[in-house]
Amino acid sequence: MNRVRSKASVYLNRLIKTKALLITAVSFLFFSAPPTGAQEAPVYGDAYVSGSISDAITLIPFLATDSTSGNINSMVFNGLTKVDKDLNITGDLAESYDVSDDKLTITFHLRKNVLWQDGVEFTADDVKFTFDLILDPRNAAPYAANFQDIEEIKVVDKYTVQFKYKKPYAPALLKLGTAIMPKHLLKDIDLKNCDFARDPVGTGPYKLKEWKTDQHIILDSFYDYFEGRPFIDKYVERVIPNQAVQFLELITGGIDSMGLTPYQYKYRTDTKKFKERFVKYKYLSRSYTYIGYNLKDPLFKDKKVRQALSYAVDRKAIIDGVLMGMGEECTGPFIKGTYAYNEEVKKYLYSPQKAKELLKEAGWIDRNDDGILEKDGLKFSFKLITNQGNKQREDVATIIQQNWREIGVEVEIQAIAWAAFITEFVDKRNFQALILGWTMPIDPDNYNVWHSDSMKDGGLNFISYRNNEVDSLIEEGRETYNQDERQRIYHKIHEIVAEEQPYTFLYFPYALPAVSKRFKGIEPAPAGISYNFIKWYVPEIEQRYTR
Amino acid sequence: MNKKKKDWRKRYAFVGLSVIIAMFAAAIFADFITAYSPNETNLAPEAKLQPPSREHLLGTDDLGRDVFARMLYGARISLSVGFVAVIISVVIGVILGAISGYYGGWVDIFIMRVVEIVMCFPTLFLILMLLAFLGPSIITVMVVIGVTGWTGLARLVRAEFLSVKERDYVQAARALGASDFRIIFRHILPNALSPVYVSAVLGVGGAILIESALSFLGLGVQIPMSSWGNILTSGMHYIESAWWLMLFPGLAILITVLSYNILGEALRDLLDPRLKGYGQK
Repeated sequence: MNRVRSKASVYLNRLIKTKALLITAVSFLFFSAPPTGAQEAPVYGDAYVSGSISDAITLIPFLATDSTSGNINSMVFNGLTKVDKDLNITGDLAESYDVSDDKLTITFHLRKNVLWQDGVEFTADDVKFTFDLILDPRNAAPYAANFQDIEEIKVVDKYTVQFKYKKPYAPALLKLGTAIMPKHLLKDIDLKNCDFARDPVGTGPYKLKEWKTDQHIILDSFYDYFEGRPFIDKYVERVIPNQAVQFLELITGGIDSMGLTPYQYKYRTDTKKFKERFVKYKYLSRSYTYIGYNLKDPLFKDKKVRQALSYAVDRKAIIDGVLMGMGEECTGPFIKGTYAYNEEVKKYLYSPQKAKELLKEAGWIDRNDDGILEKDGLKFSFKLITNQGNKQREDVATIIQQNWREIGVEVEIQAIAWAAFITEFVDKRNFQALILGWTMPIDPDNYNVWHSDSMKDGGLNFISYRNNEVDSLIEEGRETYNQDERQRIYHKIHEIVAEEQPYTFLYFPYALPAVSKRFKGIEPAPAGISYNFIKWYVPEIEQRYTR
Repeated sequence: MNKKKKDWRKRYAFVGLSVIIAMFAAAIFADFITAYSPNETNLAPEAKLQPPSREHLLGTDDLGRDVFARMLYGARISLSVGFVAVIISVVIGVILGAISGYYGGWVDIFIMRVVEIVMCFPTLFLILMLLAFLGPSIITVMVVIGVTGWTGLARLVRAEFLSVKERDYVQAARALGASDFRIIFRHILPNALSPVYVSAVLGVGGAILIESALSFLGLGVQIPMSSWGNILTSGMHYIESAWWLMLFPGLAILITVLSYNILGEALRDLLDPRLKGYGQK
């Protein structure tokens, strides 16, 4: 859990990574205990129950693109590397690593005595096996491009493995943090059709106990975890597809933690009673929400039209009104506050006037006085889709519809259930415009989303954005280790994307987790709060669940 | 049924009918009743989630929209969906029921088996499945509720036809050489319609409930259009703090459906002497 997933992922429903939840009054005994203020040594026991908007999809980590699956996978598996609480890269399954001077060879020295959750020892063979799986085209791994420059993977001895690259690849160390899979269980198995996706075995601090679809996932702590047995015995993620219901469960003790909505954060949690029982946190998330235009659609081919649509969107009203101030404006696809994020790019401050002028220049004029613009007999009218059940996004869509109406653009909104939204519309590029969000990896390389090569089936460039300069900059960025150089490259990409507006970038929301005060040992850091989950504990007197 | 009881029935029917007429009037004249637009948002903090007041009779929602205005315009959707869906059901049900009852034999057996197959599915799940294929929109909701709700009507009409077609005047018409079409629609149907009226009125209430359920699940009317069901959904997010967002649309659904049911039951007692005693349990 302390590992930040080194990949962009489509995130489900919510802007905030919600954590799990809880249930099952049957298998746990409930004790009510008076709270205690005394600090004591960490003890084992109790369960952590968090609420999640959506269920996991697959527990094969390199096939998962949604945040709930990623969340569970990060508890069950480890990678060679991970990022620490200050977002620096450090070894995980690798005790140490050497990078050659030409940056073409990376050698990992693995930890000894790491066990898989079924008791078999973890070795360098598992590492090679994992990357062979990911690179096997039959498995269609969505992030295989992260490893396409690997020339050879060599098992030097049981605890040493060497990666040779065709050309230098700057994000290599981070990307090699992808979860390692057990060779002894997956050899000769068809991943598309196997039990492992619902019954995984990893090297991580928790192992799967039970997964009831759309109800809950229960993980048990793994006593032989190489960093030591986690203090909390059970990690439970309950699927509660509605944040209002999650909040009621939080108050009544059904769950221990959830991602609050801005409304809940601001107006429902400042009571004395709430503060006695819960701590709430607030930090800028690595996710952004955007409107994506299908560039294959003739309506959006003209850059001026996209710029006009961006000018017409009142971001400030959205952030103040829908997010209640719990978010910041977004201008491009990089993490705000990092070196890659360019603060100097073109900003599209709300100006319906400018939008109208640009549309006029592009030839869109209201010729029949019906309030809607036309060009060549075509009405400026299209469908904007988003996923259902996300009240925040639906509200954003409602406001944008009104904003665009003012400049003579007619929009029909359709909210679609998550699974169908992704498989029938996004994956098949069957849409005109959509509202969606991305959670970004720590490394600014975003080949998977913006390179024209990612337009192919299964790729995440579903808006079909193609810009040769951006393509070559992305490639250059991947090969450059020098951070100043990379900064120049990513600032330039940011600038081009801001000028062209293939997306209208909306906002970075704040993550607003609330966690029961029962849990001690939480230390907020740049990486969030969950990076040291295995060190969290509950004093014995406050423990609520027994095994 | 004695006269006194019949008077009570009339009174019920009158109350139900008045409420329904008032609802329709409110929906039709929404433009004159409220000055607010149902979709006009106001994001100022002091305009959002306001409790009922003189200015906003039923309060405002999380985007600062007037709930009363949204309910009035939502009534257009909720009421018309109920109405149109039932018309579709009646047309299908009457035609298939008439054919089945009049011709009998294999035609009858075939149509009745189809009815039984459709009835086997729980209606709401059948509708959810169809909507998943067709995509949600107000038109598909009307059509889907209509094409799944005709089975009871078809059985009723068939039963009427079975008895009426043996009457002397039908035999006489046939002897005079009237066509089947003429016999069915001119001679039998008018005498078989009273159970259809009752069933249709009750059906409108049911259809409104289904529409609300679908909109509540996000499969009905799409945002930002309002219907009572989706006002309820958006209110759910504020259930502990903004009671007015769920109470009023819930009440509107309750009152309307209840009115249709009262009217339907009263009609049944008044129109159909053979159902004497039913509806009084």
